[in-house]
Amino acid sequence: MIIGPKDGFKLAGISIVCFCAVYVCTFMLNYYLDVLPLGDTIPEQFSALYKAQLATATFTAAITGGVLGLIAVVMLVFYIKLYIDGHAKQLGIIKALGQTRGRIAAEFCVFGLSVFVGCLLGFGGGWASMRVIYDGLTIEGIGEIAMTFHVELLFALVFAPTAVTALISVTYAYFALARPVSELLRGKCGKEKIEREGKNKDRSFLAEMCLKTLTAKKSLAFFVAFSCFCFSAMVQMGLSMENLTTATMGYMILAIGIVLAVVTMFMATTSLVRGNIKNISVMKAFGYSLRECAVSVLGGYAPFALIGFGAGSAYQYGLLQLMINVIFADVGSVPEYSFNVPVFFITLAAFVLSYAAVTLYYVLKINRITVKEVMTEN
Amino acid sequence: MIKAENLVKSYGGTEALRGLSLEIADGEFAVILGASGSGKSTLLSVLSGLEKADGGTIECNGVRLDTLGDRELTLFRKKEVGFIFQQYYLLPHLSVEKNVRLGADLSGNKNYREIIAAVGLEDKLDRKPSALSGGEQQRVAIARALAKNPRILFLDEPTGALDEKTGREVLDYIAGLHKARGFTMIMVTHNLNIADMAETVVKMNSGKIVGIYKNTERKSAYEIGW
Repeated sequence: MIIGPKDGFKLAGISIVCFCAVYVCTFMLNYYLDVLPLGDTIPEQFSALYKAQLATATFTAAITGGVLGLIAVVMLVFYIKLYIDGHAKQLGIIKALGQTRGRIAAEFCVFGLSVFVGCLLGFGGGWASMRVIYDGLTIEGIGEIAMTFHVELLFALVFAPTAVTALISVTYAYFALARPVSELLRGKCGKEKIEREGKNKDRSFLAEMCLKTLTAKKSLAFFVAFSCFCFSAMVQMGLSMENLTTATMGYMILAIGIVLAVVTMFMATTSLVRGNIKNISVMKAFGYSLRECAVSVLGGYAPFALIGFGAGSAYQYGLLQLMINVIFADVGSVPEYSFNVPVFFITLAAFVLSYAAVTLYYVLKINRITVKEVMTEN
Repeated sequence: MIKAENLVKSYGGTEALRGLSLEIADGEFAVILGASGSGKSTLLSVLSGLEKADGGTIECNGVRLDTLGDRELTLFRKKEVGFIFQQYYLLPHLSVEKNVRLGADLSGNKNYREIIAAVGLEDKLDRKPSALSGGEQQRVAIARALAKNPRILFLDEPTGALDEKTGREVLDYIAGLHKARGFTMIMVTHNLNIADMAETVVKMNSGKIVGIYKNTERKSAYEIGW
């Protein structure tokens, strides 16, 4: 067996993203299923609020589940690609010994374990905090809403995502392993092309290194942008919703935003630095300074971080406007909402400090890389 | 001139260098011979400023390396040193030209294409390392090291991953460039035959020098055994 359950459990980042997605979906969808049958008993004057609460529950579950589910799948595929690239030689040997592609790919189903762990914990966590959420989403005219266990949610939020991601892992691995054995044995990954550099021929080594690191790992730019998007959107949303929802809900959004931002940022940057250890150590051996090494590897991602932050600010504003003007349009006494400028600047300052801290952490990590450890690898 | 005295280096409980002293003159071609685990790669790392010794002194072109901090050692390597490794360590996502510029940009060398031409790769400037043979990749590594105009070139088993024909070609290139440019060259190898090309041969065993001799007659890359 090439890939063990240990490899499947390693993807803590994916588990955390799944946890967040399922956590929110569990209490929102459970609330929806518990409140839906009460429609006939709602007095006329509260039916608008009732409909708005139902819409909020489905809307939040769809956005959170959809976006985070997609992110988990992208992260998973990205990790499998990294795994195949990093283990090309071993996989090549196994293929050369006669193991079929399908058989090797089948072992990649263990990557679904990380999804299972995250979903199961998220489901449990959602249930643990459900009472608080139900209290925050009370509807006048109905007393305390009873919490009912819906077994179909357990299947839809835990077992189905596990099965789907395991299937995606196997399918992706099957196609990724289509490369000839000789290529795998040489550790070659992906198609190599001769590049005509044309007008950029005179670009300096450091500028080229920065650009090529970025273009070689485009998916990481997405994760960096997404991480900053989460931070920006959810921190601002959490701090701006005091008049729109309960404080608990606000803190929950804030916490989920920070967790998602930290997880995706660390996952992206760790794989970036890990994937460039040899390059960095050679640069260090030749006399490039720590700053030059760090900028050439990490520097290209800064614009994407800013784009993510900007998009997150716009997104949270648009989403809250949408909720107020569309979902709660028929409900009276909904407070006005406008872009919260002080919160924006506070979040921006926190973002700049956090981004600088993450970068510093990795610069110190790069500082510890020695050419000796790379030499002893071979 | 490189002068090391009483060098000591340990990893965990294992002593890699045990009170070793050595002198290599400017422009000299020295080969350090030894079996695996003899401490020759550690000596190369310490002499080149990649690692610090636990004890002893090293003077390199008038600079006391053992007294320098990390930043000064980086600056020292930037100005003085070039490396050629057994596994080449080319940057896989960069072209031949940009790999050579890794070295050239450090010294502001604008004529790096002459060196690429000198190693016979002028028609492969835009190729990625994976599109080259092992010998060609090692020639890129040579060009990268020489493009920064080092005063000292350190080579760690430069032909270890090559077949005989390519290995001889690479050694011939290196020897020719050494003769033409006059830099100091220190090569670590376990191949006894390569020692016949050097001016000075240092034999190591268990972290100590067990013999140093000068070759009265030096052989070319095509005359040595393999």
